[in-house]
Amino acid sequence: MDIDPSDLIVGLMMAVFGLVGLILASGAMDNEMYVFGLSLFGFACVFDFGLLRRHFDRMEARRHG
Amino acid sequence: MFRQEFIERNAFLLLVLTLVTIAIGGIIEVVPLFTIETTVEHVKGIRPYTPLEQRGRDIYVREGCYVCHSQQVRALRDEVERYGHFSLAAESMYDHPFQWGSKRIGPDLARVGGKYSNDWHYAHLSNPQSVVPESLMPAYAFLAETPLEADDIVARLRTLRAVGVPYTDGEIANAAVDMATQASPNADNVELLKRYPKAVTVPGNGRVVTEMDALVAYLQVLGTMVNFADPANERLQQ
Amino acid sequence: MADAAIMPHSAPDYNEAVVRKFVIATVFWAVVAFLVGVWLATELAWPQANLGLSFVNFGRLRPVHTSAAIFAFGGSALFATSFYVVQRTCRARLFGGEALADFVFWGYQFFIVMAALSYVMGFSQSQEYAEPQWHLDLWLTVVWVAYAVIFVGTLMKREEPHIYVANWFYLAFILTIAVLHIGNNLALPISMFSAQAYQVTSGVQNAMIQWWYGHNAVGFFLTAGFLGMMYYFIPKAANRPVYSYRLSVVHFWSLIFMYIWAGPHHLHWTALPDWTQTLGMAFSVMLWMPSWGGMINGLMTLSGAWDKLRTEPSLRFSVTAVGFYGMSTFEGPVMSVRDVNALSHYTDWTIGHVHSGALGWVAFISFGAVYYLVPVLWKRPGLYSMRLVSWHYWIATLGIVFYITSMWVAGIMQGLMWRAYDQFGFLQYSFAESVIALHPYYVIRLFGGLLFLIGALLMVYNLIQTVRGKISTSEQRIVMPAAVAVAGE
Repeated sequence: MDIDPSDLIVGLMMAVFGLVGLILASGAMDNEMYVFGLSLFGFACVFDFGLLRRHFDRMEARRHG
Repeated sequence: MFRQEFIERNAFLLLVLTLVTIAIGGIIEVVPLFTIETTVEHVKGIRPYTPLEQRGRDIYVREGCYVCHSQQVRALRDEVERYGHFSLAAESMYDHPFQWGSKRIGPDLARVGGKYSNDWHYAHLSNPQSVVPESLMPAYAFLAETPLEADDIVARLRTLRAVGVPYTDGEIANAAVDMATQASPNADNVELLKRYPKAVTVPGNGRVVTEMDALVAYLQVLGTMVNFADPANERLQQ
Repeated sequence: MADAAIMPHSAPDYNEAVVRKFVIATVFWAVVAFLVGVWLATELAWPQANLGLSFVNFGRLRPVHTSAAIFAFGGSALFATSFYVVQRTCRARLFGGEALADFVFWGYQFFIVMAALSYVMGFSQSQEYAEPQWHLDLWLTVVWVAYAVIFVGTLMKREEPHIYVANWFYLAFILTIAVLHIGNNLALPISMFSAQAYQVTSGVQNAMIQWWYGHNAVGFFLTAGFLGMMYYFIPKAANRPVYSYRLSVVHFWSLIFMYIWAGPHHLHWTALPDWTQTLGMAFSVMLWMPSWGGMINGLMTLSGAWDKLRTEPSLRFSVTAVGFYGMSTFEGPVMSVRDVNALSHYTDWTIGHVHSGALGWVAFISFGAVYYLVPVLWKRPGLYSMRLVSWHYWIATLGIVFYITSMWVAGIMQGLMWRAYDQFGFLQYSFAESVIALHPYYVIRLFGGLLFLIGALLMVYNLIQTVRGKISTSEQRIVMPAAVAVAGE
């Protein structure tokens, strides 16, 4: 299953950012950092799911095309 | 090499030349300010903020007070008459960040310290129009109801020391005590005043130190550190 | 335009999805920015509008307005057009693939939302136009690097031998904003887990660095980037080559060289050393020349095609924008002269000046580009309604006129009142008296802002109908072949 290298690199990068977000939220000293950390984590998850969905949509299209 | 016909065929060259072109002005204007000795005057009286004043300053910064209030009396006749002696660079040397501002929807605050009583400031911050009917200022009553976050004061002072504010080990060790002392009028403030001359004690509500206490302490010290009547400071007069 | 217009080869598969997303963001944030602006204007006319709530207080809401206008609306317009222009003029698909472009889009939107949220929650570092705290600054840096990689990468893999003039400006904008952003936001957090940080520099040095940043946010974000827009969309809509290639070369290098020096004019008569103030003033006055060089280049591109103003709605906005650009880049040097600045600084004159640039230049050139782009990107034969574009144009122009004239009067009056002396040699007015005197002008300004917002709402309706594929039934008009040709390019 050939993965677009751009998807792979950006996807991994976002996974790392998601993790950073979780770490920031877990140790947050103030609301701002807590909200930011959790939002970053949520954002990274949604973004990576978006990449996955597009990848499989493409595979699907190729199979039926 | 420096013909545009050549440059615009080479993205990397265009990138490098652009960076060089934009670097020149910034370097020439910024770097000397760190190296020329006379940029910041040597005057007596400038000291780091007390822990409570610094926390008040944090609130001033956080609330964006600078969008309506400048902290810079310009060297112009009418401003000196309205607000007091023009501002010196030394007076904001411990301001991280500076708050000179760019707009006066309200008056300049560089020398507001000592001009009004503590009570006036509490009343004014809670409901500005009750004291100045013409005022456009929003109410900051919520500051009086918000307890001041005190746990991180040591981390704050340490960080400020790392960026150049000369807090001593003793000042950092006593930060929490100093903060409480400045907000309790009946406490013994001899030690506080020894460390931080001219620190103004604020009345507080007797139960808990609030964000408004901190803000008032900060406002009351603004512009008061330098004694312009002192002959030692006379050569500052331009 | 020779490189882009004559293209017999088959067009590469451009990434237009990301351009469409940024166009939508542009329009969305425009409305948000204008709406918050109207609210702030109301707060200044009637302070009760602060509602006694901490999170909508003027101090917290004002950075929401400036960030929404400059970075969200202006920024999205720059991303949209730069991605569009760089692909077409290089005849190359965006470098880095779809995922990286999407990262830039969503990462930037994430930055904007988080920044706005942090201001209203009470987290600002109170450096003008650089209010976000350190963690958001770092995030923006990541997004910006990705943007630079895409843009430079696309330039590198271009199929055209020359880099088109619009791209010089976009490139200078991207690089310089990166340098300014990092330079001005050097701060030390009190802990990795706290949003609180303290600026590395203080006082006078911090002031100089802030205005080196602040004025060049104007010079490179709001000028260089939008000049890139001018150099592509005006020739395109007028179907004429740029007036003078030589002028654009001189314009580019002199503009980016001189702008960087202009910062100290924000600090006249302050504790900043005189030599720095003088340098800042001298370069600000000289800056008038390259600015007007650019204006002339933009306007003269239309020579022989002025009649297009009647038929091309996007062009009308773009050309008026260049007019406002010329006006505010004349006003700017005047205000940077120390003696004028003594009167104008800290007053509403500055606010008027900023808005003649922001509304007249930045917003109008963006509207022009958006009206041009939407039918092209969504492959529609034309806009839903030309008449609505006309209404938008006139309502918005009227709004600007109300806005800037009221602020001129307010600012000059305010400055004069502050320095007025009575017959005994005392200051004549208290500060509070100058505040009351401003009230009528603040109401007029609010009205002007409201008109501008209404114009933008007309645009939103018009664009939605266009995307839905509708053509206004009340308008008898022939679909212009030019627009179709562009759409199929």
